[in-house]
Amino acid sequence: MTKLLEVVDLEKRFELHILNEKAIEALRQVSFNVEEGEIVGLTGKTGSGKSTLMKCIYRTYLASRGQIQYYEESGGILDLTSASEHEVLRIRKKEMTYCSQFLQVIPRVPAIDVVASALTARGRSVDEARRITSEILERLSLPKDLWDAYPATFSGGEQQRVNIARAMIARPRLLLVDEPTASLDMKTKDAVIDMLLDLKRNGTSIILITHDEHTLTRMADRSLHLENGRLKEVVYA
Amino acid sequence: MDEKWLLRVRNLTKIFGEVTPDVCDRTGPQFNSNICPKTGAVVACSNISFDLYPGEVLGIVGESGSGKSTLVQMLYFDSDPTSGEVNFRPIEDGSVNLFELSSQKKRYIRNHLMGMVYQNPRDGLNFRFSSGGNIAEKLLMAGVFHVGNIRIRATELLNHTEVPIKRMDESPVRFSGGMQQRVQIAKAIANNPPLLLLDEVTSGLDVSVQAKVLDLIRRLQDELGISMIVVSHDLGVIRMLTDRTIVLKHGQIVEHGLTDQILQDPQHGYTQLLVSSLL
Repeated sequence: MTKLLEVVDLEKRFELHILNEKAIEALRQVSFNVEEGEIVGLTGKTGSGKSTLMKCIYRTYLASRGQIQYYEESGGILDLTSASEHEVLRIRKKEMTYCSQFLQVIPRVPAIDVVASALTARGRSVDEARRITSEILERLSLPKDLWDAYPATFSGGEQQRVNIARAMIARPRLLLVDEPTASLDMKTKDAVIDMLLDLKRNGTSIILITHDEHTLTRMADRSLHLENGRLKEVVYA
Repeated sequence: MDEKWLLRVRNLTKIFGEVTPDVCDRTGPQFNSNICPKTGAVVACSNISFDLYPGEVLGIVGESGSGKSTLVQMLYFDSDPTSGEVNFRPIEDGSVNLFELSSQKKRYIRNHLMGMVYQNPRDGLNFRFSSGGNIAEKLLMAGVFHVGNIRIRATELLNHTEVPIKRMDESPVRFSGGMQQRVQIAKAIANNPPLLLLDEVTSGLDVSVQAKVLDLIRRLQDELGISMIVVSHDLGVIRMLTDRTIVLKHGQIVEHGLTDQILQDPQHGYTQLLVSSLL
């Protein structure tokens, strides 16, 4: 197998200068690898550091210590903890996407364009992007009436599907997903899982945060259990 | 290999008042003031440096008086710097400092290679001209003289920015604030500039109009790949539009990073305060 990501002794400490220099230790000595086409689950109680770890990989959070070596498609290796902003943006645009728990979009942009923009931003034509988007939204059974509506007024489950569609449409090499199935019914949940497994078959590596046993058993090749910011246990499927 | 930068800014400084050698060392966030205690000189921008890459959108945030507008005004040659360098890839492959060029050459850069959208539409538009005329003005300066072609291009731009074509012969003075702003954006991009500067473009607009202007800017960025510098005190605007962000305080950069990192994991005390004040 080919290595995609290598996390070495990762630590994250939040220093709150505006709260009398209060510090919060969120991650301690976390090390693990992710292979190409592998799905790694992150489990643990709320506050155990799962999202922090994912955000450090995406560079939404700056790591306090340690390395996150990313093996680029071109063969290069980039340490995401210290790479320049420009380099991280390049990887985000071409290879890595992040699907958060909550949808954040420009107001008054129709759902279909929110998703399609992930493709147009990568150089696809508007027509082609909309066509691919339609297929995905259909598979996720998002009602057609909603495609031209603004996601701000959508229900939680509808927003989540727009969010996940946007993250996976460009077929990234590394997909980071935080609770992709939390507010979905069983049928839609399975549709999302099937689509993520399709991506995996095409070589995408996925790091997955979920509290849902069904999602975890169906998807993860391996899960890392976090407790108080430390990696406690690795469970193989 | 790595892409090349489009714009490189190094140690850009603007001082209003007496310029003494140590004035920048006596002002800034650590002194909680940009006014020199000895001479009373105001340091609007102090040693600002950054790179902007093709297609990137850079946000500049900070409170009123932090130097945001002064910075873009210098980049657009509206104001001369006290010291510092700016290199721009389209000009001699980025090898010359733009401020050392002749005023004729600077005018050329403004007219052909940059666009600017001001907070107040009156600064960017001529209200004695029609909205079509305003776009024609920019095109004429960029060397397009064929009236028919100007008309076609103006129509295309107003269409793109969703200004009703049947009103293109009216002065923007009769337009709403949001429409004036969209005419200003149409004018600013008329010459297909590789760099667009936007100074507080949505301040003072109500939220629904603001959403429309934001959507327009994002669309232009997606479709045309223009590099942009977006100045705003509104973190919501910065979050929607930008990839990277610089935080200014008292004329100095206190923090820079990816926009989501600045908003979710701010490192500097001032940025932490700014982000925690977000509604």
